[in-house]
Amino acid sequence: MKDIMMDIRHLKKYFNTPAGKLHAVDDVSVSLERGKTLGVVGESGCGKSTLGRTILCLNEPTEGEILFYGREKGSYGANLVTATKKERKLLRPKLQMIFQDPYSSLNGRMTVSQLIAEPLLVNRICKNRAEVDEKVVEVMETVGLARRLAMAYPHELDGGRRQRIGIARALVLKPEFIVCDEPVSALDVSIQAQILNLLMDLQEERGLTYLFITHDLSVVRHISDTIMVMYLGKCVEMAPADEIFSNPLHPYTKALLAAIPIPSVDSCHKRRELLQGEVTSPINPKPGCRFAARCPHARESCRSAKVPFTERTSGHYVACCQ
Amino acid sequence: MLLSIRELRQSTRMEGRAVNKKDRDGSRTGKRTSQVSEIWRRFRKNRAAMAGLIILSIIVFFTLFADLIVPYSKCIDQVGAERLQWPSMRHIFGTDEYGRDLFARVIHGSRYSLFIGVATSLIALVIGAVLGASAGYFGGMVDMVICRIVDVFMCVPPILLSLAVVAALGTSLQNLVIAITISSIPGNVRLIRSVVLTVAEQDYVEAARSYGCSHARIIFRYVLPNAMGPIIVNTTMAISDMILSAAGLSFIGMGIQPPSPEWGALLSGAQKYMFSSPYLLLFPGAFIMLSSLSFNLVGDGLTDALDPKLKD
Amino acid sequence: MILDIKDLSVVYQTDMEVVHAVNSISLSMEQGETLGLVGETGAGKTTTALALMGLLPERTAKVTKGSIWFDGTDLLSLSERELQRVRGDKISMIFQDPMTALNPVLTVGDQIAEALLLHNVEGHSRKEIEARVEETLELVGIPKERKKDYPYQFSGGMRQRVVIAIALVCKPDLLIADEPTTALDVTIQAQILSMICDLQRKYKTSVIMITHDLGVVAETCDKVGIIYAGEVVEYGTLADIFEGDVHHPYTVGLFRSIPSLTGSARRLSPIEGLMPDPTALPEGCYFSPRCKQCMDICKKQKPKVYEKNGHQIRCHLYQQTGTAGEMEGSGGR
Repeated sequence: MKDIMMDIRHLKKYFNTPAGKLHAVDDVSVSLERGKTLGVVGESGCGKSTLGRTILCLNEPTEGEILFYGREKGSYGANLVTATKKERKLLRPKLQMIFQDPYSSLNGRMTVSQLIAEPLLVNRICKNRAEVDEKVVEVMETVGLARRLAMAYPHELDGGRRQRIGIARALVLKPEFIVCDEPVSALDVSIQAQILNLLMDLQEERGLTYLFITHDLSVVRHISDTIMVMYLGKCVEMAPADEIFSNPLHPYTKALLAAIPIPSVDSCHKRRELLQGEVTSPINPKPGCRFAARCPHARESCRSAKVPFTERTSGHYVACCQ
Repeated sequence: MLLSIRELRQSTRMEGRAVNKKDRDGSRTGKRTSQVSEIWRRFRKNRAAMAGLIILSIIVFFTLFADLIVPYSKCIDQVGAERLQWPSMRHIFGTDEYGRDLFARVIHGSRYSLFIGVATSLIALVIGAVLGASAGYFGGMVDMVICRIVDVFMCVPPILLSLAVVAALGTSLQNLVIAITISSIPGNVRLIRSVVLTVAEQDYVEAARSYGCSHARIIFRYVLPNAMGPIIVNTTMAISDMILSAAGLSFIGMGIQPPSPEWGALLSGAQKYMFSSPYLLLFPGAFIMLSSLSFNLVGDGLTDALDPKLKD
Repeated sequence: MILDIKDLSVVYQTDMEVVHAVNSISLSMEQGETLGLVGETGAGKTTTALALMGLLPERTAKVTKGSIWFDGTDLLSLSERELQRVRGDKISMIFQDPMTALNPVLTVGDQIAEALLLHNVEGHSRKEIEARVEETLELVGIPKERKKDYPYQFSGGMRQRVVIAIALVCKPDLLIADEPTTALDVTIQAQILSMICDLQRKYKTSVIMITHDLGVVAETCDKVGIIYAGEVVEYGTLADIFEGDVHHPYTVGLFRSIPSLTGSARRLSPIEGLMPDPTALPEGCYFSPRCKQCMDICKKQKPKVYEKNGHQIRCHLYQQTGTAGEMEGSGGR
């Protein structure tokens, strides 16, 4: 029996725009296993960030259920969508987020220690100032920030250290679930590797569950247990990480994998089949498969029929008519 | 092509700067310096701001200790024999058409003028910040309602608005403050709303929401501090504007009532003698100018000093 | 040899400090080749490119030494007027962010024509220029009917195509692409890269590809220069860099930092530490503070270039032994 930490059922998030309803997340269902990482990949505008934000209720979900099975008593089986403000506030420390841009996600007017202490103060977790300081120092050590940086301002630090602050800020509340929204895409490769290692060590130590959002397929394969591929708000394929790379079923996944530039000479100058065209608008999408317009194998039926999300082999789900 | 070149240059400059910043933290010590002393250290480095602060302190000193410098009676007593005298050792700023000592009037007048200037702009700032920040931060309905109300007020020229308020409430110092404040709130709301709009989009605001910050805390601890720069500059500039509008209202008899001295009133009273006794205009005018200049300089300095990014 | 950079050094001078952005870089390339410049943020890649274009910010940047020979002339000795004639015509540049590199109030057709009009030495008529604009648009995969459209009507990938069209319209001899696909999605990146490669083959243009992505380098480049702290630490053919036996420790670290798509290593082995402060570069080898194979000599003396069949490495490891074979164990990845 899998130890499920979160169950997301038919989650929808629509935005109203002047042009019509924007289907940012459209009927996504997924279960997250405790202590594992679910990687979410897709191109910009596919709704992967919105998915992360909606799970944390930073955007009010339009429809669906988010069932959270926390370790603590009382937080088991809570539905975040229907929860009241007060209930959400209690669950909030358990569900945290790491942001993409370590430059804009930190308030430049606060020092490192203030930034990390903020969640503690806001949630009134500590009894006194000394306890706050103690926890800040402890978490700074965990993420590898030297203590002398406590009084520094974020703009004085490099991207890697700033991202460590972001991680520390998420960790200080002792969460069970962290949404990582492109946490390494703004960093240089050598720093990126340091941060990925840190995230993985933390997961091992604390049994954290990650929802790892990224557009970088090599990163997602490295860190994820399960990978979900999104296209225009829909989940088009979901499978264990190795399975999706060795045996991609959906044409979009195949195209995505083929497009990655591989850093080795064998593959070079051998151009594979390239995906033509660009992502269409997710505003008032037409019925049928959303990928049909770019799909090399699209048939007439793809443009009208409802696309089933079926399990092809054990644990490998695909939304494709063929 | 031209445009892109300029952009490119800018981006390299940024890159150069980013490079500059790297590893600077190595030199920082973990010593806890209080924020106030840190801000003061940065403020002190700005020479223009320091000059402004010195001028301002002198004016404030005059204001606070006016009674010790010259008794209040000196600026009320009319001495028929000493009308319209040029500055001399006896009356260092000269005397006005009723023979009152101008120095005493200017010094005591600073009490009214500075009080009106500072009080009105602070009240207008607080109300403007609350309304503007709510409009910018919450958006939607709140924004709509606040903006429409502000629009209505913006349609009326500020001086007419103040006049109407004074006319309705009657003339007194308190009502003058209310009148000027009301007429300057709409501009403040507009400005603060637009600054807040850009700040509220930043990721750190969303981050704050993700760990459960209340709206009030986000507005006061995240949004407003980061929107501070233009707000402080605007407020300090407003102080001089307020002094001038108070002067204007006094001039048409809707503000400070004679014989109370007030800089604007002094200035307008001196108009008749502009050519025969220009010193009557010169001294109050100089004080108005110096005080607004010093407020502006201090405001500029504060903006820089409050921004940790501009350190060093 | 179309381009030969010799011993180029660039500093940014401010009141307080001197940033050593580029330190004695020497590079050369043949007609029709693609040279990849790889390095992290602040390594000096963009500064090198700007020096080539003569677009360094005048007030702060200074070329302290070196020369840039392009087609037989030293670009650094040219006046601003002469440079303008070269820039956009013989050498052109593609910028990283297609969202801001275009002027939003001009149609894309006008922006492409601009470069042609500026370098209209032969006195082409308006009609000929229009024809050339349309031809270039088709070349980069945009229907020519769209030349009357404004940049906001294009998506990110299409805008980058427009930027490329602007760069290519004068048929330059040298194209500098500064992170041309960093702001784009993978599928669009693949389209753009293959387009650049196709166009290059067609026109025999030389391309300098500035990137931090080793995957992009592997797909597009013939020669590669790895830049660290304003220095070329390793230079060689694609095969030298990706399959060679010996490497600079920094190159090794870079490769180890990338999560593999095929292997299953759970932990990455990144390079520890940070880039050195370019205002106070360490003595000796600039990489020595982060280098796992740092020796005493590395901290005192600047390494010279070790060379074997055109594969250059700036490291003491290879000076000592003088042969490549012996260092296989320590230098290979």
